[in-house]
Amino acid sequence: MGDIKPVYLEEKLKEVEESGRLDYRSKTLPTWCPGCGYFSIVEAVAASLCELNIPNENAVVVSGIGCSSRFPFFVNTYGMHTLHGRALPVATGVKTANEALTVVAVGGDGDGFAIGGGHVPHAARRNVDITYLLFDNGIYGLTKGQTSPTSAVGFRTPTSPYENPDRPLNPLLMVLSYGASWVGQAYAGRPDQLRSMITQAMAHRGFSYLHILSPCVTFDKTHRTYQNLGMQVRELPADHDSADRAAAMRLAMDDATPALGLYFREERPTLGDALDSLVEKAGGELPGKPAAKPARKAARR
Amino acid sequence: MATDIQISIVGSAGDGTIAAGDILRNALAGMGYKVISFDVYPPEIRGFGKCIARMRITTEQAYSLKHQSDVLVSLDDSHAIPHAGELRDCGALVYEQKSLVKLPEGGHMSAHVGPGQLPYPVPIRELSEKSTGANRSRNIVVLGFLAGLFNLPAEGFRKAIGKKFRNKAAAAEASEAAFKAGLDYAAKTFKLDDVTFGPPVSSVVAGATVEMINGNAAIARGALDAGIDTFFGYPITPATSIMERLAAEMPRRGGRLLQTEDEISAISAVVGAGFAGARAATSTSGPGLSLMAEMLGMGVIGEVPSVVFVSQRGGPSTGMPTKTEQSDLHMAVYGGHGDAPRIVVAPTNVDGCYRCAGKAFEMAEAYQTPVIVLIDLYLSNRYETVVFPARPPFEADLNRKPGKPAAGAPYKRYALAADHVSPRAIPGDKGNMHVVTGLEHNELGRPNDSAELHTAMSRKRHEKLKLALNHPDFTKFKRFGDEGPVDVGVISWGSNFGECLEAMLRARSEGIRCAAMKVVMLSPFPTEAVAAFMADCKEVLVPELNYQGQFANLLQAHVAKPVTRLNRVSGEPMKVEEILEEIRRLAGRGKTAQKAA
Repeated sequence: MGDIKPVYLEEKLKEVEESGRLDYRSKTLPTWCPGCGYFSIVEAVAASLCELNIPNENAVVVSGIGCSSRFPFFVNTYGMHTLHGRALPVATGVKTANEALTVVAVGGDGDGFAIGGGHVPHAARRNVDITYLLFDNGIYGLTKGQTSPTSAVGFRTPTSPYENPDRPLNPLLMVLSYGASWVGQAYAGRPDQLRSMITQAMAHRGFSYLHILSPCVTFDKTHRTYQNLGMQVRELPADHDSADRAAAMRLAMDDATPALGLYFREERPTLGDALDSLVEKAGGELPGKPAAKPARKAARR
Repeated sequence: MATDIQISIVGSAGDGTIAAGDILRNALAGMGYKVISFDVYPPEIRGFGKCIARMRITTEQAYSLKHQSDVLVSLDDSHAIPHAGELRDCGALVYEQKSLVKLPEGGHMSAHVGPGQLPYPVPIRELSEKSTGANRSRNIVVLGFLAGLFNLPAEGFRKAIGKKFRNKAAAAEASEAAFKAGLDYAAKTFKLDDVTFGPPVSSVVAGATVEMINGNAAIARGALDAGIDTFFGYPITPATSIMERLAAEMPRRGGRLLQTEDEISAISAVVGAGFAGARAATSTSGPGLSLMAEMLGMGVIGEVPSVVFVSQRGGPSTGMPTKTEQSDLHMAVYGGHGDAPRIVVAPTNVDGCYRCAGKAFEMAEAYQTPVIVLIDLYLSNRYETVVFPARPPFEADLNRKPGKPAAGAPYKRYALAADHVSPRAIPGDKGNMHVVTGLEHNELGRPNDSAELHTAMSRKRHEKLKLALNHPDFTKFKRFGDEGPVDVGVISWGSNFGECLEAMLRARSEGIRCAAMKVVMLSPFPTEAVAAFMADCKEVLVPELNYQGQFANLLQAHVAKPVTRLNRVSGEPMKVEEILEEIRRLAGRGKTAQKAA
């Protein structure tokens, strides 16, 4: 423990200001509860956008409904705060309309794997070139603490006052089986690794899925607390081959002690590539790719 | 000499009935006649369901099919016999001369020839077998016979046959032989007929082109001519062919089309693409529109341009997928939760499908709102000869300018302006970052649920749509028939208006003072013009293809004058005769009125 250095607030503030990442934070203050894991996610996303040097106006953050889905208001980019469960198809529309944009979809476990669960396989198999950040706190926070599809069996909430009888989903395993081309896991309580994973996910060309474990400090005092999560999470084995989907799926099956890191990555044509190849097959003319201009401008008759 | 001939071909699924009808109407349209045509077929691909290809061939513009046909062709007597009464007196009845099997009494068409009808028993099967070695070409033999019977140029038929079988050499060869066999047989036939074709009349101005297409193809063409660049959709009868046509055409122009996992995804992607500045659309039918309702509301509150083509079918639920109905008006105009006004336009003919489809993109961008183009199966599958102008009559880009952001001040995407339409920046525009949200918001787009803002924003979303009532170069309504005060006014919408117009014209020819009005723009409603028309009418008749009288309900929400409703849910177009009878009754001329008197 001898190498831990003290951090002075003034120095930290100076470092943050000079990094330039404050340009990616909006003037709207997050509405989350004090102590919420999502604060570290918004900070990490701002830092990643800054690190990748993406112009604010070329980034679009799309969300559904839920605590996590308020996210677009807290970053200084274009954004869409849409309907419960529909972040992925809306993000697909944005990206299809303009490939020059960096599109990030964000949402919670209920948004993505209950009401919106039908859209995940299709965004993954099409390899839409977007990043999907799934904030998994295992609870419906915005409606005050009901069970979610990733809640533990036995969890007692207002809608399961005796106990939650349903077995939780394993989103990581699902997305790996759907054919996603980049799959990773991070924990809101480890902000440096979180930022590094988000940067990698955004830099990936294709559908990148980052599963982010986070506690709900207000409505879950028993299961997914900082204390429990902190003890459960571990690193992926150093010898894990991120090109091996089957190995990644075996590791993902251990959801009792979730491993953090890059599970799987492959390079393959994106939806945009596929749509461009259809234009070529049809003998049409490919619109040029002017920076940050909708593809349609060149497609006009 | 003016030509006005209706031909019906009746057969069983697999007889090639619809294919024969397709070749025939293509041949006649190619010769320069005006065509209006609508087929009836069962929901199954095979089986022994009844198929009818019906077309009306004219030199003057027609608005609907006729009650009676001038020519009836039977490819299957069991299906055709119930339609024998559809043939007019002195009309030509073409049927199979020899039956292979022993038929029960009355099973052969010869037993059903009306006293004034002209029978043409043709050895259809024998001619097909002799000329091609198989009986598959019976439908083409019949076409040859019709060409000979009516002295129509064979070359036009050969061209249409060649086009139909352009990728099937064997079928093309067999069809050529079968066509000749039918043609030769007609030459040996004594013609008793009074059905005669006059020369076609061309009224096309230079530069314009005439094409015979159906409503769905016209919608696709309108979208293409308006510069559609992204499309997301999910297959559903009877809208699928809009998507299929665009899937072939859009990549040729650099456009992008994606078949999504469901209708919710389709409309979500359209709204996403609209936000990003694309001209985006989807197509669906009633069940899909139900699923889209929530995201359409998002488009309304987020003020995102989007276009939805909806072709109605019989409902509710899965209903009658291959039958026509006009029962989704309520959902198109009012569907979804909250005060969610949107633009709804319903073309009344195939030409209107083209114009509404193109104008929908203009209006979606100009007023920043979802636009629904509402048609039905009858219009989707109805063929008409349409004159297309040399230059597409649509504006390419009506996106609002993003506006200049004040230095240091955040961008007001939802600024409350005098005309209620705000500046609109799209992703990629520097310095104008904002969030589009489904929450009620302030001028910046930040969540805000104060009483003042919800009132102001609700007013903005409703008032801006009124601008669409003056959208340039677009027919929102139109009046036909007698000017000034009349005894009976017929007011209707969508595919059903053609029948109403025919009925009105016939009522006038009977001396009834009568007028008709079509309403294309259903939302916002052109109240002033409709009220003026209704004030001129002693009686107002509202015929439509639904049980509740959904258009009549809409009408009465805006104009407080009693109307007479005429509703049919037969799954088929309304009969002109039925509307005419109702006009006569309201004018005090009908049988019912006489009885009552």
